[in-house]
Amino acid sequence: MIGVIDTCFLIDWSRFRRREILEKLFNVLLIHEEVLRQIRSESAIGYVSELFTKGVLRLYPWSNMDEKEFIILRSQVSSNSRIPSLERPDLLCLIIAYNSDAVLLSENVGIHRVVQYHPRYSHVEVWIALDVIEQSVYKGLIKVDSEEDFLSIVKEYELDTHHSFRKNKVRSAIERVREWLMR
Amino acid sequence: MDKVIPPKELIEKWKREDEEAREIRRRMANWDFINKQPPRIRAALLYFIERGDRYVAAQIAGLTVDEFNEIRIKANIPVVV
Repeated sequence: MIGVIDTCFLIDWSRFRRREILEKLFNVLLIHEEVLRQIRSESAIGYVSELFTKGVLRLYPWSNMDEKEFIILRSQVSSNSRIPSLERPDLLCLIIAYNSDAVLLSENVGIHRVVQYHPRYSHVEVWIALDVIEQSVYKGLIKVDSEEDFLSIVKEYELDTHHSFRKNKVRSAIERVREWLMR
Repeated sequence: MDKVIPPKELIEKWKREDEEAREIRRRMANWDFINKQPPRIRAALLYFIERGDRYVAAQIAGLTVDEFNEIRIKANIPVVV
């Protein structure tokens, strides 16, 4: 499976005590050099360097065609007050995910909103960390025997990264994990 | 190029989500810490509480997203997602 990783996801995920599961879940993670330039903290730099060394993280070769696509997308989605400002790096990640048939790892609210209505990008899968944790359970990368086990891992992430997942998203994930455990 | 406009129902749903997230950030924030920050950092933290956008908040603070994130954590403001 191919993933595209954005700045905030990378920064947050690098703080997670179980961060090694990401490289087991994805064969390749693509990153744009403009995303990479945003990384400064010790934990994130260390993590990025580790992923590059292992060959999991790769720089995406941005092309003129991609740039044209960016200009079109930017003009289509800008100036909507309910879409949090979508900056260039956010849109680049969406375009990379679309063109690489990859899962986009992003917690950017604006990106999650664009894929809810934009006809071209609506099939792009955008995962938040909660989705990565859930998928890691199904792939056997995280062992859970109960809903409580799953919830405690979600709490670990919230604690390590200072996140608060929306209750309805956590509830839905718990229901799916419960069904999976009963199989 | 034509704008791609989201349907009204989605906009209403997003409005509710934004309000809920803002409330969580306001409630959990360490206001003592925020009020002691230099003006630019304080403005960035207040913007983040209201809008939840780390990228723009970092621009206001004159920092990278990564650097702003460290301050966000110290200010006890969660990312609501």
